[in-house]
Amino acid sequence: MTTVSEVEKISPDRPLEVCARQVIVSYFREMMSHEEGAKDGTDITFVHDMRVASRRLSAAMENFAACFPEKPFKKYYKKVKTITRTMGAVRDLDVLIARFEKEMDTLTEAEQADIRELIEHLQQKREDARKLMLILFAKLEVTNFEIEFLEFFTGEVANPNSGSNKNV
Amino acid sequence: MAKAHKITGVAPKRSYHENARIILPQKVEEVYTWEPFIWDETRHRELHNMRISIRRLRYTMDVFRAAYIFPKTLSETISVNYSERFAEFFAVILDLQEILGDIHDSDVVLEALSDYADQAERGTLAQGIAALIDRTKEIRKVDYKTFLEKWKQLSTAGFKQELLSFLAS
Repeated sequence: MTTVSEVEKISPDRPLEVCARQVIVSYFREMMSHEEGAKDGTDITFVHDMRVASRRLSAAMENFAACFPEKPFKKYYKKVKTITRTMGAVRDLDVLIARFEKEMDTLTEAEQADIRELIEHLQQKREDARKLMLILFAKLEVTNFEIEFLEFFTGEVANPNSGSNKNV
Repeated sequence: MAKAHKITGVAPKRSYHENARIILPQKVEEVYTWEPFIWDETRHRELHNMRISIRRLRYTMDVFRAAYIFPKTLSETISVNYSERFAEFFAVILDLQEILGDIHDSDVVLEALSDYADQAERGTLAQGIAALIDRTKEIRKVDYKTFLEKWKQLSTAGFKQELLSFLAS
């Protein structure tokens, strides 16, 4: 896995356009490293981690946009934003459910019954949001998003599983 | 959520450090565009937007952290410990992000509770929902007060100017 440590190795004197590729590829790999866990859904932290990594990536891309040709860059940037939004829909519901579950102990029995109903309602919404997330992952796979993204930002034919970014 | 302000003046062929000095001050200014609205606790959207801008600044500081780490040989000859100063500023930004995050969490909870109450159409508000609405409003009030106190302290201490001067170094 990446990342912050790799980014910290960047020399302040190197041209931005070189460092930008290194940062973006590094953050991208970090984001994608959480995909399988997010798909699985057993541990909710994967969705959270993928969302955070996607935000870091889009923030970096916003800063470095001037280093890349506009049209393809925008296409990848929009996809990353879509990932953030889709993961966010699941994560926001995870957070709400966890918060209401935590509050339960502090309520009377009658109050707890109301909150239990609310939690069930939110769990249903979360299932719907997860379905949309899985559809998005399937679309990204069919369209070779990961391979194309890495090819664009490394400037070489990419192997998404290699972890190599020697050209960046 | 407001879009990130477009960054101008970036020079891809120039160094990482030079570009950090161009980009980071713009991120700081983006945060301060929301300052006129924070004195009113009902400006939920603007408080949320300030949180997002602070988060963007934090991530951008993270990206450019390496630009403020100088080689040991050079750092021994200069009086300022840049890594330490950077970490101090970063900690303040993180603290602001967290407290604004707590305020936003309360807003999200209140919205979820109200939406659910509206859907339920029970005529009277369910006891549990009403109890949580009251409690969350109190939590938000306390968090908002904490945020404002922090912000005022930072303003009095000239935080923005200090940060901008440091980032320009």
